[in-house]
Amino acid sequence: MWIERKGLAQEIPAVAALETRQLSELLASLGFPVDGVASREGGDVLDVDITANRGDAMSHRGMARELAARLQQPLASMVPPTVVDGPPVVEVRLESPACPVYSTAILQLGSGVTPAEVQSFLLALEATPKRLPAVDASNDLLHRYGHPTHAFDADRIRGTVSVRWAQAGETLVTLDGVERKLVEQDLVIADESGPIALAGVMGGDRTKVTEATTRVLLESAWFEPKPVKATARRHSLHTDASHRFGRGADPCLAMVARDLLVGRLQAWCQATLVGAWTAGAVPATAKSVPLTGALLARIAGEPLPLAEAAEALRRLGCATDLDGGTLQVTPPSWRHDLAIPEDFAEEVLRLRGYEHIPSVLPPLEGPPEPLSPAYLQRQRLARRLSQLGFHQTVTYGFISPEADAAFAAAENGAEGRALANPLGQEYSVMRGSLLPSLQAMAHQNLRQGAREVRLFELAPVYHSGPAGPVERFRLGMVWGGTLGGEDYLSPARAVREADLMGVAKDLGWEGVPPLRALGEGLFGFELPIERLPREGSRVIPAFQPFSRFPSVERDLSLLVDLGQSHEALTSAMRAALPVDVLQDLRCVDVFRHKSLPEGRQAWLMRLRFQAGRTLVGEEVDGWVSAALAAAESLGARLRA
Amino acid sequence: MDQLLPVEIVEAGHAFPQALFACADLDALLRLKGAYVGRDGSHAAQLMELLKAAPKEQKRELGAAINALKQQWEEGLKGRQLELEAAKKRLASQADRWDPTLPPPMPAQGALHPLNRLMDRLVDVFRPLGFHVEEGPEVETEAHNFDGLNIPEDHPAKASSDTFYLAAHPELLLRTHTSPVQVRTLLRVAPELGKRGGIRFLAPGRVYRKDEIDPTHSPMFHQVEGMLVGHGIGMQHLKGTLDYALRALFGPETEIRLRPSYFPFVEPGCEVDVSCPLCGAKGCRVCKGSGWVEILGAGLIHPNVLKYAGIDPAEWSGWAFGMGVERMAMMLSQTPDLRLFFENDQRFLRAMGGLD
Repeated sequence: MWIERKGLAQEIPAVAALETRQLSELLASLGFPVDGVASREGGDVLDVDITANRGDAMSHRGMARELAARLQQPLASMVPPTVVDGPPVVEVRLESPACPVYSTAILQLGSGVTPAEVQSFLLALEATPKRLPAVDASNDLLHRYGHPTHAFDADRIRGTVSVRWAQAGETLVTLDGVERKLVEQDLVIADESGPIALAGVMGGDRTKVTEATTRVLLESAWFEPKPVKATARRHSLHTDASHRFGRGADPCLAMVARDLLVGRLQAWCQATLVGAWTAGAVPATAKSVPLTGALLARIAGEPLPLAEAAEALRRLGCATDLDGGTLQVTPPSWRHDLAIPEDFAEEVLRLRGYEHIPSVLPPLEGPPEPLSPAYLQRQRLARRLSQLGFHQTVTYGFISPEADAAFAAAENGAEGRALANPLGQEYSVMRGSLLPSLQAMAHQNLRQGAREVRLFELAPVYHSGPAGPVERFRLGMVWGGTLGGEDYLSPARAVREADLMGVAKDLGWEGVPPLRALGEGLFGFELPIERLPREGSRVIPAFQPFSRFPSVERDLSLLVDLGQSHEALTSAMRAALPVDVLQDLRCVDVFRHKSLPEGRQAWLMRLRFQAGRTLVGEEVDGWVSAALAAAESLGARLRA
Repeated sequence: MDQLLPVEIVEAGHAFPQALFACADLDALLRLKGAYVGRDGSHAAQLMELLKAAPKEQKRELGAAINALKQQWEEGLKGRQLELEAAKKRLASQADRWDPTLPPPMPAQGALHPLNRLMDRLVDVFRPLGFHVEEGPEVETEAHNFDGLNIPEDHPAKASSDTFYLAAHPELLLRTHTSPVQVRTLLRVAPELGKRGGIRFLAPGRVYRKDEIDPTHSPMFHQVEGMLVGHGIGMQHLKGTLDYALRALFGPETEIRLRPSYFPFVEPGCEVDVSCPLCGAKGCRVCKGSGWVEILGAGLIHPNVLKYAGIDPAEWSGWAFGMGVERMAMMLSQTPDLRLFFENDQRFLRAMGGLD
C-alpha cells in the first residue's frame, strides 16, 4: 500500500524529522516492511507491505498510530465538524446483522472543485482524482483514515434504502460497467427498484455521482468482514473498500467518517446539509482478555513487568486493568486481530522491538530421534548414483495424460490422479511413473548437444486408490548417448541395456530390472525403492570367513545356441559343482561371428575355485569336466 | 701420397665424412660400412689388392697410407654407430614414456540436484540440535493443509485459483506448504509427547501453488519446515536456534534479525533476515543495499494448532519456521531464472553441485 510521507506527517508530525530510510526501518521493525520508495508529487511515497491481519493499518492514520505508539509521540488531532443526527430524510432499513450501523447524510452540492492538495495526495497514491468533490472526498478519507465511504446521487435513489441480502436472480451494474448476477449471499444496498451497491465492495452505475449530480446521499457504514470478502471473491472485485472491510474496518469510525465527509463537501464545494441520520448502532466492543506475567515471560524469553506491558498496550489503544498477576486487556475498536493472550504478548514484544528478544538454544528434553531408514536410503541412493555419474533431476509431479498413459501401470487409472484445475493439459495428471519426465529431460539434454546423458530422480509416483492417490517413492533413471571416445584409452561406444543392468545390480536390485527403451538410444528403468536393500541395523555385519589359500581359475570356451539363457546355463553348471569351492562362475566374453556354426555363439565361461586348502590339479579337472557335462546337457559343446 | 692411390678411392675418402653424417639409421651405416671396409669389393678391399700388387719399395709407404685411411674409416663408422645406437635407445625410452599432460580417462561425473543438496545441508545443520526428518504426502487433505493450521475457512489461499485440487476427490489438494507435516506429526506424537520429551523435526519437501511458470514462479517448489515443541518454549528459543543454524549455514559472521509479521499458524509471528551473505552486509544488488536478506518466516506455534492436534497449549509450546528452498538457492547462487532448476540441464546440475 502506498503511504505518502507528507500525508503521514500530517497525522504524526514527529515523522517529518525522520529520513525516509529511518522511517522505512522503523516501519519494518513494527511489522510493515517497505518494499520500495517512489518519488511523486514532489515527495517520497512508500510502498508498505501490510499483512492480511492488519486492516486497521491500511491508511495513513493507521500507520501513524503504530509510529506514535513506538515513538511515544502524539498523533495530530482529528477534528470532525459537528454534525447532529436528525430524523431520516430517506428511510434506511438494516435487514441483516452483517450491517449493524449505517450513518448517512444528504447534501445539496454547490460549486467548487476538489482542492489541488487533495488531488495531489490522490495522485501520489496512484488513485486518480475524479475531480468530483463527493467522489474524491470519499477517496481521500479512505486513504487518510482507512474508512471506506460512498456517495450516491440522491436524486437517482427511489424510495426507501435497505441493506439486505440479494435475491437470487437480481442483477447490478457496478461502477466499472459490468453487470453482476447476484446470489443470496451477496449483501447489497438497495432501493425500491433493486440493488444500488454491493455492500462494502463497489457502488452501482445507476446511482453514481456524475457532474450532473446536485444532491448526494452519503454512506458511512460498517460491514462484517466475511460477506464482504466472499462477495469480492465471488465477483473477482477486489477494491480498496473490500480490502478494508474484508480485513475489518473500525465500526466506531462510521459516524466520524460521515461527519468528516460532510465537512469536506461543505468546505470544498459549499455543500449544504439537508439532513444527517444514522440507522442501527455501533456493535458492542470486544471482551477483555487476561494476559498473565507467566505467559508474557515465556513468550518474551525474560520476565517483563506487567505494568510496562500495560503501558505499551495502552499506547496501542488498548484498555488495560492490572489485577494482581494478570493484566486484563481490551483491544481498541479498530484491532480485530487481537483476541487471545498470545496476541497481546506479541503486541508488547512488537512495540518493544524484536531486537530485544534474547537468544537462547532450547534445552533438549528427550533423546534425539534417528533419521528414518527410508529417508537415509534415499540419501544413500542419491549419493551412490551421483558417484556413478548420474545427475539428480527435479521435475514436476504432474504431467500430460498422454505422457502418463505411455508409462503408468495398466491398473493405475489416470482419473483418480487428475487435477480439477490444472495449469494446463500438460500438467494435469499426477504422474504414475517418473520415466516420462526423465525421458523428456534426457532428450532435451541430448538436443542441447550432450554426448551422454545420465539422469535419475527420487520422487513419489501416484497410484489411484479409492480414497485418493497413494504416493510411493520411486527411483527412476535414464542413460543414453555415447560412452568413451573422449580420451586416448577409452574407445567410443553407444550406451547399451547391459550398462543399466550393471547400475541396477550395483544398487542391489535382484534380477533383471524393468528396462525400457526410450528412443534415441536412451534406456531407463524405474524401481520401487522399498525393494532395494537398506543398510542393516547392525553397525558392522557379522564376520564372513574367507579362504587365504590360492584360487584356481579355468576358462571353458563353449558353443551355445543363440537363444541360450546365461542364467539357465550357469545354474545347470553350478548344480554340478561343490558349493563350498566354487567362488564364481560367469560368462566373460561373447563371440558371435559367421565363422561359427549357424545358430550358435561362443561363450567364454570362467570358473573360479577356492577352498580352505590348496587345490590339486586333478580335482579341479574333475570339476571342470562335470561343469562341461552339465553344459553339454543343455546343448553346449566345447569349442574346438 | 694421394698420387699413389686411384682417383676414385681418393674421392671416396673425401666423401666419407659427409656419407657418414648422412647415415640416419644403423642399416644405412651397415651399408656404408660394407662399401668402405667390407671384406669384398669395398674401398678397403681394393686398396689391399693394390698393396699386394705394389712394387716392393712402395709397399711400406703405401701400406702406412692405406692403414691410416682404413683406421680413419673404422673409427668414423664406430663413432657413428654409437651415436645412432644411443639415438635409438633414446627413442625407445620415449616410446615407453607416459605423458601426464594428455587428457586421462575420467571417472563419470554426476551431481546431486542443487535443491536437494541445499535441503540435505539444512538437515545436516539441524542434526546436532536433535532434529530429525519428518515427511508427509504431497496430495493432502484440506484439513491438514488448512484447517489444522488455524487458516480461516474463507482464506484466499483455499481458492481454486491458488491451490490445485483433485478432480475425483474434491477434499484432496496438492499441499501448498510443508506445514501439513506439522499437523500430521503433532497428531501422531500427541499421546506420547510427555514420554518422549517434546519433539523437534525438519520437514523438507515439494509443494504446489497455482502460479504460472515464469523466471520467478513455479507451480512446484520446495520448502523446509522446522518445528520444536517443548516446555516453556518462547521467542528466545526460536532466535537462539536460528542464530545457530543460519551461522552454520552462512558463516560465523552472520547476523540475524527478526521482524514482526503474520502467519495464521503462529503467534507471535516474524520474518527473519540474515546479514547479506553475498556482500557481508555492506550493501549490494541482492540485499538492495540494505545489508539484509529475508530468509524465512517463523513464530511460536499458535495455540489453535496445538489444540487441533490434541496438545494442551497450557503445558506445551513451541516454534516453527518455513523457508523457500528455491529462493535461498537463487539468492546464494545468483541464478537468474527459477526455471533452470527444473530444466535439469546436466551442465547446470554439474556446475551447481558445489552450491553450499
